[in-house]
Amino acid sequence: MSSTNNTLKIDTFACAWCGLTVSAVAADGARRNHCPSCLHSQHVTDHVEGGPSRCHGRMSPIAIAVLRTGDWMVVHRCVRCDELTSNPVCADDNQLILMRMAVRPLAQPPFPLEALGSL
Amino acid sequence: MPRRKHSRGRDRAARRPQRHKDVLHGHGGHRADDFRCVDCRLDVSLDAPGTAHRNHCPNCLASLHVDRRIPGDRDSDCRGRMEALCMFTRPDGEWMVVHQCLTCGELSANRIAGDDNPLVLVRLALKPLQDTAMASRTMLAL
Repeated sequence: MSSTNNTLKIDTFACAWCGLTVSAVAADGARRNHCPSCLHSQHVTDHVEGGPSRCHGRMSPIAIAVLRTGDWMVVHRCVRCDELTSNPVCADDNQLILMRMAVRPLAQPPFPLEALGSL
Repeated sequence: MPRRKHSRGRDRAARRPQRHKDVLHGHGGHRADDFRCVDCRLDVSLDAPGTAHRNHCPNCLASLHVDRRIPGDRDSDCRGRMEALCMFTRPDGEWMVVHQCLTCGELSANRIAGDDNPLVLVRLALKPLQDTAMASRTMLAL
């Protein structure tokens, strides 16, 4: 009777947006919860009440948050139920999408930024 | 500061209407019309220019964790202080503030009001760009 202990366990998931097959553990051993290519995630944890969520909607990345330590977090929003989550970025996440989200508010300011230059 | 008019794109009728407001401020509801900021103790009136759903202080952007799942349900047991975490843009160009509760870590998003402090807003939007290491890595990826 062969045990399953010595079989190689490769934990993967398919991205809900781009379909890329992603290994669930990043290169540095951290648990991954979003696709490194398009940064989309899936709503599997209920953050209001805790425990697993029944939504399973796709979560799209909307914002970059910076912790006090300087680490970046990606803020995701579920497209089905509008719940927000934040997750740390991995080293191999798509830098272009991260930087696009970071500079996006400055590209469309709600007030003229020229007035701030005179301060 | 005046809000920049959206001349390009869709007209005002095509924009998404604001969510129906069913919190009865002042009609025998939970409290009177204004609130006091938990952080800077500023007395804030609820009639804000540009939005009908003011939930944060226009001076320091601090908020209070009172809503649970639906904005306006006042169902949360936490009542913790919420700090502005980051800024993002809706597809129609509106800036939104993401607040994080300091007690339980819950996140919520709210549109900025017309009288929010522009210096604090821009400072929040510039926060990811303070560290130039990520920008140089992005340039290398190009």
